[in-house]
Amino acid sequence: MAWQDYVHDMQRCTRCSYCKWIPYRYMRNIDFMEGCPSIARYNWHAYAASGKFNMAYSLLQGRIEIDDTFLDVLYKCCMDGSCDVSCKVQQDIEPLQLMQELRIKCVEDGQLVPAHMVVIEGLRKEDNMMQSPKDERAKWAEGLDVKDLTSESAEVVYHAGCRYSFDEELWPVARAGLTLLRDAGVDIGIMGVEEACCGGRAYELGYAGELTKYAEHQIETFRTAGVKTLVTPCSDCYAAFKVLYDKIGKKLGIEVFHITQYIDKLIKEGKIKFTKEVPLTVTYHDPCHLGRLGEPWVHWQGKEYKVMGQMIVHDPPKKYRRGANGVYETPRDILKSIPGLKLVEMYRIKEYAWCCGAGGGVIDAYPDFAVWTGAERLREANAVGAEAIVSACPWCKRNFLDAARETGDKIEVYDIIELVQKAV
Amino acid sequence: MKLAKEEYQALEDIVGPEYITQEPVIMDTYNQVWGNKFFFDEKHSVRPAAVLLPANTGEISAVVKVCNKYGILFKAFSSGFEYLSLSLVNEKGILFDLRRMNRVIEIDAKNMRAVVEPYISVYRLQFEAARYGLYSGRIGVGYSAGVVATECCHHGCQHSMVFTSGYGRNILGVEWVLPTGEVLNMGTGDGGGDLFSADGPGFSLRGILRGRTGANGGHGVITKVSVKLYPWYGPPEWEQTKQPGEPPSFGQLDKVPDGYKVFVPTFNNLDDTLDASEELCRAEILCGFGIAITGTAPFSEGNDEEWAMMQKALNAGPRDVGSIPNSVVAVIGYQSLGELEYREKCVKAITEKWCGRFLPGFNEPRALARAFADMMWSNGVNLRATGDFLPSSSSPDGSPAMLKKLALQEAEIKDRYEQSGAFLTFGSGLRMVSWRPEEHLSTGAQGISTAQYDPWNPASLEAARDFINEIFDPRGEFNRYGIPSRGGCLQIEPVTHIHQNWGPLYDNYDKWLMKIKKMLDPNTVGDWTAYIPPEYPDYAKEGNYVLPSYGKEEKR
Repeated sequence: MAWQDYVHDMQRCTRCSYCKWIPYRYMRNIDFMEGCPSIARYNWHAYAASGKFNMAYSLLQGRIEIDDTFLDVLYKCCMDGSCDVSCKVQQDIEPLQLMQELRIKCVEDGQLVPAHMVVIEGLRKEDNMMQSPKDERAKWAEGLDVKDLTSESAEVVYHAGCRYSFDEELWPVARAGLTLLRDAGVDIGIMGVEEACCGGRAYELGYAGELTKYAEHQIETFRTAGVKTLVTPCSDCYAAFKVLYDKIGKKLGIEVFHITQYIDKLIKEGKIKFTKEVPLTVTYHDPCHLGRLGEPWVHWQGKEYKVMGQMIVHDPPKKYRRGANGVYETPRDILKSIPGLKLVEMYRIKEYAWCCGAGGGVIDAYPDFAVWTGAERLREANAVGAEAIVSACPWCKRNFLDAARETGDKIEVYDIIELVQKAV
Repeated sequence: MKLAKEEYQALEDIVGPEYITQEPVIMDTYNQVWGNKFFFDEKHSVRPAAVLLPANTGEISAVVKVCNKYGILFKAFSSGFEYLSLSLVNEKGILFDLRRMNRVIEIDAKNMRAVVEPYISVYRLQFEAARYGLYSGRIGVGYSAGVVATECCHHGCQHSMVFTSGYGRNILGVEWVLPTGEVLNMGTGDGGGDLFSADGPGFSLRGILRGRTGANGGHGVITKVSVKLYPWYGPPEWEQTKQPGEPPSFGQLDKVPDGYKVFVPTFNNLDDTLDASEELCRAEILCGFGIAITGTAPFSEGNDEEWAMMQKALNAGPRDVGSIPNSVVAVIGYQSLGELEYREKCVKAITEKWCGRFLPGFNEPRALARAFADMMWSNGVNLRATGDFLPSSSSPDGSPAMLKKLALQEAEIKDRYEQSGAFLTFGSGLRMVSWRPEEHLSTGAQGISTAQYDPWNPASLEAARDFINEIFDPRGEFNRYGIPSRGGCLQIEPVTHIHQNWGPLYDNYDKWLMKIKKMLDPNTVGDWTAYIPPEYPDYAKEGNYVLPSYGKEEKR
């Protein structure tokens, strides 16, 4: 649906402001009630999802134009979906989808955010979101003696993703993930320098064509390589492969796992065994793209009609994505099974989790906002007595590391892979 | 309309450039609220000339003085979840978005009171007060409603008012920026003391502050309020059955928490229901009371699920569904088993006296828990079903006999509209007028006839306007309901007509209200769209009570 097709939703946003908070009934602590980093940081109503409905409706009616303020408001948003979950407690409308379509419109109209233009230029040239040379993509795996699936075959392809491939500080995590799987007997390989971006982040920036392009490329690549399963340690990539490809009608055609799901499977099969204690009190941060945004896409086609006088319903009944079907328990099960490790929960968890701050292109265009959002999450982790915050996404880890450095926070930052590695 | 450079600069100098805007993109998010279509024929009301995010009372006071100097209208709001909180008379008006004033300043557990700033929601205050074994009153506009707005500025009611009252009865003091920019502290605050009494030894202006219906931002900005708290008999933290990661349709609460008990008696007819309700309320045993059980039905995930649930309920238990309008929800709280025993006996005795019974379907643990959660802790405003609603309200401060008469009349009117297909309906006669008594019915009750209509369906919208006209009588044609309450939906622009039409019928009260407005606001800078103008504008005499927007009027 194009942005104009959400006019029903624009008209029916009531300005209840639920989108600003986590659902009221699940608030646990007065310091950690807010759900949307954008409104929390910038205060004006426009920065909330409700404001986006208002902006879209005014745009539709010709009352406003897309200008620098419009872009600023639209893009100072992590596209984390917290608003979407909270809004749907009250309404049958789709704030996140509208915001996505507004971004696509801006790109189609040539209304671009300069920092994102640089990123996309890099993507088009080098097939990655990190503005790095394509031929350096496999450097992270040097010395691992792993199968190169452009010339060899394996059951499973390990897709590191752009962030792990080019963020040198995070290479040990990507290497550890691959090593864990290989040591557990998984027939696994990588695409090496031929690995390409999933296209998911570009889509979130509004570059819809890039998602289609990379989806088609990946489908062909994995078909040619003959792999049956994809495992990725990146939650953004997971959501792209699992959810967005399906959304645009380009299903990958092979099984897609986030690495936590695969590790959990291997633990249950007895192929990964923990032998060492990890004496650490940790809290788990749900990556948005593994959690609420990792919820499978729900296709629906039908019509709206009315019952009981004026109640608006659908034929066939419409299932809304409300975030509850993301991947939540699997990473927690892994953490709980690590000897000596104590898991404490933050106040906003699972579909109500606060974003790390990196999503939606914020880390590229508005790094101060990204750090502020990440620091807020670290504050919450500290508040529950965690010595370390653990996530399952390189974007989260990167942003938490940056936020900790910026604020002087001493909390340790891990990816779940690193804790598993410590325990085996 | 943009402010002149000099005017904008004067405002910016006070709050700082980060906290003032006149960007159209942002300002057009401050004039779109539910209900606007009904009143203004479109989603947008007047676009403000600027929006400000003040940090404190001093900034507001200074800005208001600038407004007086340059003739700029102003209005303040907390959550903004009301069409009247964002409506402006004309385009040279500014809005104060008070979200930066978000502190619970004090919870004085010993004296059962709290002092809060405007952006503290009723939900948040309840959340914090519960930890002290205390409870705050609330009104029925959802979780986000501000304590200041609820207590000091706006008219609204809710099921818990049988216990906590409302309409200004809980105010112990306020800090009030008058339309001149002066800061006034009422009651004990006037002498620099704690805000524990609004009635002296300093000025007591509670009646002026809000009367019954509230000035809705028409005479200044309340920047701090001290409110009464009541006992909370439940746990310090709210227990939820549904946990994150579970489908939202999972029950929120499996059972009524210790400290409370809920009963849903069903009577044989509406007359008996209303008589029994009066006795239940007057027994002074209730913490919550509702007469329309459908209002406390479980929240579904969405309309499609709701529809499926309705069909299932109708198929499974038509007898129960048909009993809805003759059923009430009664919540009692207790601190001891003796208290529980006494209150329970009362409920059962009154039920028996009026030949009531407790149907199993309405009294199973989860249904009672849902009713409890909805009445006592939090509820949402159900705008999802049709897109909009109008709470027509009548009957304040009335005798039980009058309330009963009103309820019966309103039920008949409402049923007629529902059966026409213009509103949401559960079937003929299946929804009673909701009755929300205050202070154990000692000071009256609010009758609420909620019309759930689709504002984007022309026929439904027209019917909603007809319905309000008939049931609310804004022109004073029917002389049906005795003392006007002016509550609920019609506190905005058509109020001009209501004041004009009703004033002569009711001791020329409008003249007094105008005098108050003039006295407090000599330069008429407090936006009066939801209060009263200092003089009636000529165009307001022209005709329909549903007027086009003030913006259109100005452009004529």
